[in-house]
Amino acid sequence: MMEVSSLSATYPNGFNAVKRADLNLASGKMLALVGESGSGKSTLIYACLGLLPKGSKVSGKVLFDQIDFLALPQESQRRIRWKKVSLILQGTMNSFTPVLTIKRQFLETMEEHLKLTQREAEAKAAGLLEEVGLDDGFLSRYPHEMSGGQKQRCAIAMALCCDPDYLLADEPTTALDVITQAEIMNLLKSIVRRRNMGMLMVTHDLALASSTADEICVMYQGCTIETERSDVIIRSPKQPHTIALVKSLSMMEE
Amino acid sequence: MSFWRLDTLFLTFLVLLTFIVSPMLGPANETVAPPFCKPLWLDPASGRPLSLNAKDNILSFTWESKPPKAFSVKGTVSFEEVPKDAALLLVSPKKTYKLMDLAGLKNLDVDIDSRDVPLKLHLGLNPFVEVSSVIFSEKGTYSLYVRSDVKAHVNLNINIYTGKWGIFGTDQRGRDVFRLFVQGIKISLLVGIFATLIASTIGMGLGLIAGYLGGLTDSSIMRTVDVLLAIPTLPILVVISGVWGRGLWQIVLVLSIFSWMGTARVVRSLTLSLREAPYVEGLRALGAPAGYILVRHFIPEALPLLLAQTVLGVPGAILAEAGLSFLGLSDPLMPSWGRMLHEAQVFGAFTGGAWWLIFPPGLGIASLCLAFISIGRRFEEMADPRLKEMTGR
Amino acid sequence: MNNYWLKRLLSSLLVIAVVLSLNFFLFRLMPGDPTSSLLDPRFSPEAKHELLKSYGLDKPLSQQFFIYVKQMLTFKFGISFMSQRPVWQELAERLPNTLLLLFPALLLSAVLGILLGVAAAKGRGGLVEKTVLLSGAISFSFPSFFVQLVLLLLLAHAFPIFPLRGSLSVPPPVGFWNLVTDKIWHMTLPVASLVLLGFGSWALYVRNLMVKALGEDFILLARAKGIRESRILWRHAFRTALPPIVTIFFLSLPGVISGAVITETVFSLHGIGKFLLDAVLGHDYPAAGAAFYLMSLVTVACNLLADVVYTFVDPRISFRRLR
Repeated sequence: MMEVSSLSATYPNGFNAVKRADLNLASGKMLALVGESGSGKSTLIYACLGLLPKGSKVSGKVLFDQIDFLALPQESQRRIRWKKVSLILQGTMNSFTPVLTIKRQFLETMEEHLKLTQREAEAKAAGLLEEVGLDDGFLSRYPHEMSGGQKQRCAIAMALCCDPDYLLADEPTTALDVITQAEIMNLLKSIVRRRNMGMLMVTHDLALASSTADEICVMYQGCTIETERSDVIIRSPKQPHTIALVKSLSMMEE
Repeated sequence: MSFWRLDTLFLTFLVLLTFIVSPMLGPANETVAPPFCKPLWLDPASGRPLSLNAKDNILSFTWESKPPKAFSVKGTVSFEEVPKDAALLLVSPKKTYKLMDLAGLKNLDVDIDSRDVPLKLHLGLNPFVEVSSVIFSEKGTYSLYVRSDVKAHVNLNINIYTGKWGIFGTDQRGRDVFRLFVQGIKISLLVGIFATLIASTIGMGLGLIAGYLGGLTDSSIMRTVDVLLAIPTLPILVVISGVWGRGLWQIVLVLSIFSWMGTARVVRSLTLSLREAPYVEGLRALGAPAGYILVRHFIPEALPLLLAQTVLGVPGAILAEAGLSFLGLSDPLMPSWGRMLHEAQVFGAFTGGAWWLIFPPGLGIASLCLAFISIGRRFEEMADPRLKEMTGR
Repeated sequence: MNNYWLKRLLSSLLVIAVVLSLNFFLFRLMPGDPTSSLLDPRFSPEAKHELLKSYGLDKPLSQQFFIYVKQMLTFKFGISFMSQRPVWQELAERLPNTLLLLFPALLLSAVLGILLGVAAAKGRGGLVEKTVLLSGAISFSFPSFFVQLVLLLLLAHAFPIFPLRGSLSVPPPVGFWNLVTDKIWHMTLPVASLVLLGFGSWALYVRNLMVKALGEDFILLARAKGIRESRILWRHAFRTALPPIVTIFFLSLPGVISGAVITETVFSLHGIGKFLLDAVLGHDYPAAGAAFYLMSLVTVACNLLADVVYTFVDPRISFRRLR
């Protein structure tokens, strides 16, 4: 279980992006964090991972299976990264270092956290690529030699390379075309089921969230205002902002 | 943003120095003292140079420092009648020295220098001895007077040289280094600013034309830019200066011809991006003529960046001119800082350890360039606020 | 051959053509006797007439131009007025000294600058960064000859540790290692002065590149992956900043070559820069033209090399596929 309690985060310029947020993520479940731009949803997951810029203030608790992550010293944090929890960036961002091959970037992560030989690591990487629907020829490619959808699949494969228990995804399908979007979301759902991982996905798209996530948590102005099963929240939203979001969804569908 | 910061204050100070103080000082190329004099404030024990006039018959002064390097007595002595016994005497606290015998003539010109060998022999000293260190060996009161049996009218100047002069000493020709330094400010500023202004104008013009017209004009201008950029700068400046001439305006022109390329590239890319801007398309659709768009929109948009570029280009021109002057390729009569360093090196500042010839012009160039760079960076930040992050301010 | 490389080669050839034309016309358009740029004025009129014919100077200007170009392209540079020796020999003698000055200086400046620039980017706002920003400003404003004169004043005059002038002692020492030591002793101050002046701009440039690289998304992800900071700094950030650094390395060679004129003059080194200056001041036009031509060739070669090497360092740009 990943538990976030009373998490607050302020950027170095003084902007308080997250105000006492709470959420819980269970293994095998997908939780969608939904909100408009500026609601603090991306900040929340970076705060959970201790990845906000230097000078930011973060308070509250983030527990990954009872491990208080934010209370750990830097070095201990570094050691359990990727093994406990991994990250997928937005589709528009560069997840991969442009001057290194995909193989290099997979292998360095596995070398850091797992005790595998070169051959074992390569084999594992190839297997992961297969899992996301790419052939192992992609290992020797550079990031600029792939399409947006292929890069995102690679990013997913790399996120799984140390077999994490939790996966945080920041708008993983934004900027992809609708078909690829659906493919990636189905891929993520099956991975989460198969590996019994907990996945927290940030999105602004309520429709996407309701069709793929088990639970939806709505964020508004830095606060987590409502958390509910996805089918329940669509049918009977309680908070005013949630109601407004659901209304706009049905207006679009009409 | 306050205008008056260290860099602008410093620049103003230099401008005032060169335009207001410099004319008050006298011509820079004038010989004022012996060569390689040290600055006054160095070695205080050796005393300050003295220049006194003995109008009446007797002149008294005190000397409280180390013996000077040399002294001279120049002027005229005239008697009412031809004297039978007259002499020019220099009285030290210990002894009286007869410098010159004045008997037998009614009007005499006096021109005595302590380094003259006849004087040494006259005083009974070895030709290799320094007369001034013998005479001035004591601290105390000295006097210079004419002893004669007839009334005498005396107009004599005694000059005591301590090997020191002025704020910055003298160079190998005995010129006041401070005067040269102050005049050098003007040269550096003139060359730096004019060369950069001309280069910026050429660059802006060609960049605008290339960006706006495109096509063959654009390619040919850019080809020219590439070729000129590929020619090694200092060597071509050396060759052209050597062949063409060494005047001030020649240097300005040559520098301009080889420094417009950077501005042209920047202006061209700015023009290209502005040309595609939606609001420009709108203007054209409304029928605005090209000149109007150019003057009313492009230029105000480009001006802050251009200003920053121009100011940042001045140090390059100053350094190039200084470099050429240092290599000997400038007018010898022009008191450029680079020329001062050239003469310092060529005429042996090292054998004398005359560091006061090297530091003022060198630090002058450096501080002038630093001031312009500082101001230019401020303009840059005003033009593009993102740069604040990059420079870490 | 590929479109892009063809264009680059043509561009380089154009530069050489311009340089050759400059050499040709500049020296011949001077006031006075046009042949004085080619023939030693000390020759007798009969000898001059003979030489005029053998140089083909009685032919029309356009024909002379082609002869000149052919001579330059085959490196037949004629005889120097000053020394009466073949110019080619003079240049060949001096080229190693210039290279011995420039390469160590450039390498040391770059290495020092890179180390400082990376350190400055890593410790934003710290002492190293402030030093880098300051030395960057200094390297753009202090004239090289001033720093060199001050170094000479301090370390060759006040404390006579290093020699005042020359590339080698006179008479040169006997024995290989003695020769090497003597050479190093003479080159220390010149190289040190160039490094002092050069590392600042390198450090500033590298620092800016690194700050930009460290702000990229993939660095954030690398941190999320739990990669060590040192590895992120060098294997990810620096490696991304490397292609422009390599380019600047080759592109700064021409600038250093330019500066060699001044450095060799201050330290009286037996190199090509000083040779060019002496030739220009002494009106030795065959020598001056040849030296300038040689320097331009090296500059053009460096610019081309910069482009070529870039394709090998940046995997996004392929040598073969450049259009």
